[in-house]
Amino acid sequence: MKLLKVGFLLGAGVVAGLSFNFFSNIAEARKPFTEEDLKLMNEELMALVKKGDELWHDPKLGKNGLTCANCHPDAANANPHTFPKFQDNVGKVATLREMINWCIKRPLEGKELPEDSEEMKALEAYAIYMYRGFTLRPGDNTREYPPVKVKSGPGYP
Amino acid sequence: MKITRRDLFKVSATAGMAAFTASALSPFTGLVSVAEAKSSKRSKIQPFNFVVVGDAHLYEMPNHRFDKTFERSIQDILNMNPKPDFVLFIGDLAQFGKVKELEKGKKFLDKLERAGIPVKIIPGEHDWYLDMGKTWKQMFGKPFWSFDHKGVHFIGMNSILVEDYWTARNMTPWERMLAIAELECHVCGLWGVGERQLEWLEKDVKNLSPDTPIVIFTHSPLWDYYPRWNFQTKDAPQIRQILSKFEKVIAIHGHVHQVVYNRTGNMVHIGNLATAWPWPYPPVELPYPKIRMFRADPGDIFDGVGFASTRIDEYFDGLMKFHTWADLIPDELKGGVPL
Repeated sequence: MKLLKVGFLLGAGVVAGLSFNFFSNIAEARKPFTEEDLKLMNEELMALVKKGDELWHDPKLGKNGLTCANCHPDAANANPHTFPKFQDNVGKVATLREMINWCIKRPLEGKELPEDSEEMKALEAYAIYMYRGFTLRPGDNTREYPPVKVKSGPGYP
Repeated sequence: MKITRRDLFKVSATAGMAAFTASALSPFTGLVSVAEAKSSKRSKIQPFNFVVVGDAHLYEMPNHRFDKTFERSIQDILNMNPKPDFVLFIGDLAQFGKVKELEKGKKFLDKLERAGIPVKIIPGEHDWYLDMGKTWKQMFGKPFWSFDHKGVHFIGMNSILVEDYWTARNMTPWERMLAIAELECHVCGLWGVGERQLEWLEKDVKNLSPDTPIVIFTHSPLWDYYPRWNFQTKDAPQIRQILSKFEKVIAIHGHVHQVVYNRTGNMVHIGNLATAWPWPYPPVELPYPKIRMFRADPGDIFDGVGFASTRIDEYFDGLMKFHTWADLIPDELKGGVPL
């Protein structure tokens, strides 16, 4: 009886796991990823997203007063989940970072950022975070995707 | 042959044509029967054209890219044949409400006046929050008004008035302006026309008969599109209530920098293009998803932007045509959007 009960519980766990994750063989992070660790790591990420948000709205990236947010409020139509993809205007398969630099150089008439710079990482982090939960669609250059729906605040915790 | 992205769009647009016709005809056929019923009004309206242009967002620096697109719009309006009866500028002439930005804009608009085309104007938030509309009012007068033209009653209102978000935050006028200059400003709150203008509107239309053709201009839409980006007017329900006695109201707005269409009760709403840059569509379902523009090429400053001219006929059926320089408008809408 006891064994049966354990078996039932195990089965229920597997079913719950399957309904939760598409793949059943997902490994979990082992300790010491405590709740506290995860909180700290998330705070680090959010600090980068916030920095990206500020840069996204900073005319200093360009020379004509424009910011990324002029055309991409809440990072709308940045479509980070569709990279890499062939970009007509870049003339090749471009990464999100290459596209960000294209925007800085052309519409903003500014100077490209080093692709591994903190500024670039921050801009990328903000754009991606505003599309959290989206399915990856590399190569999709057929449409614009609106970002997550924001009710209040900056759009991230 | 090189197949561009636009060509691909066209193919899919043609394939989707049947679906479009089905969804689009339902609102539009309604107008035909209304027009027949309104034949008694034939003598009241003398058909005419007017232009709506706006969201120029001019910066202080010389030879800015937005000067070029606005200048081209003005030039195209000057070359229109027949000449429009008037031009309505629908707000956001300046980017940061600076005197020099507004002066630059006025110089462009004066070209129209000098060519004998009267200009009517309402403010946008970018014109307003540096000095709370002081310069704008000195230059252009009252921010809300009405007039009658060839049988149609036109109304313009200032829809971008927000509650004070700056005093408690100790913001300077410049900081106040920078905050609201962001579309996704999350400290500014929702804007509207306010009590004073609602009272004025009530009086303005009090003695008009229900068959009076009404056209109303506001910077922001008079329906809840996407409040996050202030694609709304807080007291739009009251405005719609005041105007509900009329057989038909055409509401035209700017601010959204995109082609967008809706109907509420007796009102048909349409959004105008900017001359500066296009906004993406927000994450909401559009009530009329086929009445929208294509994505723009960000490498072409003349793509994604433009202005509109509207023809009003004797039955008060309107037709709004978007003037663009790139292939921005789907084929089905090139002939104009019936209003």
